[in-house]
Amino acid sequence: MKKTIAVAIAALFAGSALAQQAAGDPPWKQGMNPEQQKSTLHPFAPHMTGRDAKELPVSSLKVPAGFKVEVWADGIPEARSLALGDNGTVFVSNRNAKSIYAVVDKGGKREVKEILKGLDAPNGIVFSKGTLFVAERGRITRYDGIEGKLDSPGEPKVVVDGLDPDRQPGHFWKYLALGPDGKLYFNIGAPGNIVMPNYMQASVMRVDPDKGVLETVALGVRNSVGMTFRGKELWFTNHARDWLGDDSPNDTLHRVALGAKSVPNFGYPFCHQGDIQDPQFGKSRSCAEFSKPAQKLGAHIAPLGLRFYTGKMFPAEYQGNIFIAMHGSWNRTVKQGYNIMRVKVDQQGHASAPEPFVTGFLQDEKADPPMWGRPVDLLVLKDGSMLFSDDYNGILYRVSYSK
Amino acid sequence: MTFAARSAAASAAAFFFLAAPARAADPQLCAACHGPNGNSQIPANPSIAQQPRQFIETALYQFREGNRKNEQMSPMAEKLSNAELRELGKFFSEQKAAPPQHKTGAEAAAAGPGLAEKYNCVQCHGPKLMGQQHIPRIAGQQYDYLRVQLHLFKAGKRADIDGNMTSAAKSASEQELDTLADYVAGLSPQ
Repeated sequence: MKKTIAVAIAALFAGSALAQQAAGDPPWKQGMNPEQQKSTLHPFAPHMTGRDAKELPVSSLKVPAGFKVEVWADGIPEARSLALGDNGTVFVSNRNAKSIYAVVDKGGKREVKEILKGLDAPNGIVFSKGTLFVAERGRITRYDGIEGKLDSPGEPKVVVDGLDPDRQPGHFWKYLALGPDGKLYFNIGAPGNIVMPNYMQASVMRVDPDKGVLETVALGVRNSVGMTFRGKELWFTNHARDWLGDDSPNDTLHRVALGAKSVPNFGYPFCHQGDIQDPQFGKSRSCAEFSKPAQKLGAHIAPLGLRFYTGKMFPAEYQGNIFIAMHGSWNRTVKQGYNIMRVKVDQQGHASAPEPFVTGFLQDEKADPPMWGRPVDLLVLKDGSMLFSDDYNGILYRVSYSK
Repeated sequence: MTFAARSAAASAAAFFFLAAPARAADPQLCAACHGPNGNSQIPANPSIAQQPRQFIETALYQFREGNRKNEQMSPMAEKLSNAELRELGKFFSEQKAAPPQHKTGAEAAAAGPGLAEKYNCVQCHGPKLMGQQHIPRIAGQQYDYLRVQLHLFKAGKRADIDGNMTSAAKSASEQELDTLADYVAGLSPQ
């Protein structure tokens, strides 16, 4: 228990101080060159107690004409991934904190309940057929019939355990998505910024929830914290390495056809964004041997959750577009991201360059901090409106459209 | 428990009896240990005046959640809601830091600036070590408190939000940590 707590504390940015080598840098500092040792760039810590929406410049958020963005719920500290229950419950996860929240409609008023506590980096959540699946740092669990017992969900059943046997530092928190094959897809990130991963790190994996057997879906993926599906295609976002400069390499969007015979390798740690050899690990390798991303999204922009828009509220031109939540760059002297971007995709899988959809969190691209909020994950509601989470403040926003 | 901690606990207990109906988040309850308006007069206890709001909130959150443990602080933080933590953060971030109680020795005054640069103190705590965001003001902080925390970080025994302090303290010698504490504690908060 003590170890769990210690690791959770140290995890506020990207890794565990306790597990790192003596006098070693924390994982996010690893990979700096000598000139960067005095850099003042640093990851931003979320407000762990959340912030009141009424104290924030929410009215400065911008959306295209006809759209509206508003606060949907606050008081959900470190709101991360989103999932929708059959009865309309919105489930919200944590990464550095340890809870799962449910937002329920109570007589026309939204109520936020903390339904699970004391979990170990429970970033990934999926709702399916009455069950809430939760991906913690080292395991995936299931809470059956959750919407009928939000006040006492009881003990979970374990789907799979042992996903983090070494409790190593690095990108251990998991996104979780349900595939069209009924399997749960998730990431196991790289243990540092730029390091040689072991056989199950820097990957996307899946597990059959009934059998608990793991399969590898993609390799060479530094850290994906957003996945979704279009038919039998998995689409996911990936964060590239840091400390190669303001404009390199790009974070990326990827497409993987399920059922292909071979497992694609997207290049980490040898090759980034499909065409940049790593100065250290890539010296004796070629990018030609690796699969390419579907789109480059911007350096250090930190793409997280993504969703295809298939709702009925937004104009027809948005049908089948991907929305991506950009958490925003820290490893860049001029900041970018901190917005929701829109990417158009054709049936062959060609993806357009991203264009801004919800903006206004970024206030001063050279300030520290540069922003007042950070988008994390998206969720299309039954009426076609779209929610997104903001872990910096613990707020959910709703984007709607009317002519 | 050190003498200072014992006396702090005793005065805190006395304070509770005197101010029984106070709310859990009443900043005056903090004064027993952290001094008037959060300027500590007890060497073992940190000053919380003029700390960045996010730092105070995060520290209280860590105590409440059990990530950081302390005989006095853990039970104090246990009962507080997020709204109360934010209220305390706001209050103490707006109090002015008092001049330092510590006088830096000649040796530390000479070596301190170089060490603060070498071990990247100024990189995160800011050029004047006044803190920012979730990172505390250490200029003018209590010497005993600083020294103890630095050695705990070096030993890997202090809750560390991001691994930075543990790695920084591990790379410095025990002697250098003492020198840094001596130097930083004597700086005027400005």
